[in-house]
Amino acid sequence: MVIKMDEFKNIVPKLSNIKKENPFETPDKYFDNFSEQLKMKIEAEKEIAGKQHGIIRFLKPALGLAASFALIFMLVNIPLKKFMSQKVADSNIETELTETDYLSVIAGIDESSFFLLLDEPDGGIEFSEEDLLTYASANTSEYELFIESNN
Amino acid sequence: MDNDDRVLIADLKEENKRDLAFNTLVKKYQERLYWHIRKIVLNHEDSDDILQNTFIKVWKNVGNFREESSLYTWLYRIATNESLTFINSNKRKSFVQMNDTSEFLMNNLMSDPYFEGDEIQLKLQEAILQLPEKQRLVFNMKYFDAMKYDAMSEVLDTSVGALKASYHHASKKIEEYLKNID
Repeated sequence: MVIKMDEFKNIVPKLSNIKKENPFETPDKYFDNFSEQLKMKIEAEKEIAGKQHGIIRFLKPALGLAASFALIFMLVNIPLKKFMSQKVADSNIETELTETDYLSVIAGIDESSFFLLLDEPDGGIEFSEEDLLTYASANTSEYELFIESNN
Repeated sequence: MDNDDRVLIADLKEENKRDLAFNTLVKKYQERLYWHIRKIVLNHEDSDDILQNTFIKVWKNVGNFREESSLYTWLYRIATNESLTFINSNKRKSFVQMNDTSEFLMNNLMSDPYFEGDEIQLKLQEAILQLPEKQRLVFNMKYFDAMKYDAMSEVLDTSVGALKASYHHASKKIEEYLKNID
């Protein structure tokens, strides 16, 4: 589809009548000064690139070391965590104390240390009414209880 | 690729000859690239920025230039891409809601103190701005720069046939626009 000049004039007469002049201008000596301006910009770019390169070069060993530590930590920690959790699960045998065990523990405490424990403000041990009754019934006879309640 | 450009590229890839070769390249292509960019973005200040960015890109990437196309084609392609990227990013950044590219570029042209065209030339620019992006590029490269279709085909990565059709349609649309404003 090669359009010859005459043909072009026939197809687009209005466009053909417009002079093909460049309507744009540039500031004086723009092209003479352009390469100098560009040189300055490239020098600035080089400086930035150099600084970035310098920072990277400076940080490279530290970053490498940090990355190595992180990798070693992950390599050790992840399998260890898996192994330990398995081990803990295996050894986590529920130790349920029977009532007799509790009673034997309570029976082992003498009376004075029992009250001392109760008086201790930060003892952190709280006994329920049921515990106290259990203790009393284990260490005192019904007769003694009767006498105490009448006093 | 002409022999001078081949030597120029070889020199650009050598560290000790690079600065001198780059200066030669800038001197050789700055005007052609500037006018190509200016016809796309229309404003001198923007054209200046884009031309500088084009050459900085060349400076940074000349080491990777594989010489599959001519130096001239490669430069034109970078300049075209930089210009189109500029238009699209500025359209997005603009605080004023722009209906389309033509409105943004018309504002760009009107604010340019270095536009010296008369009324009919302003109308012609207005008409060119109504064209779709590809047709606008083709029309500018053919009508103003008289670029050969083969060279244009390499720059725009479009077949010669498609470029001829584009130019034909663009010319008809401009003619129609000029008729309607009379």
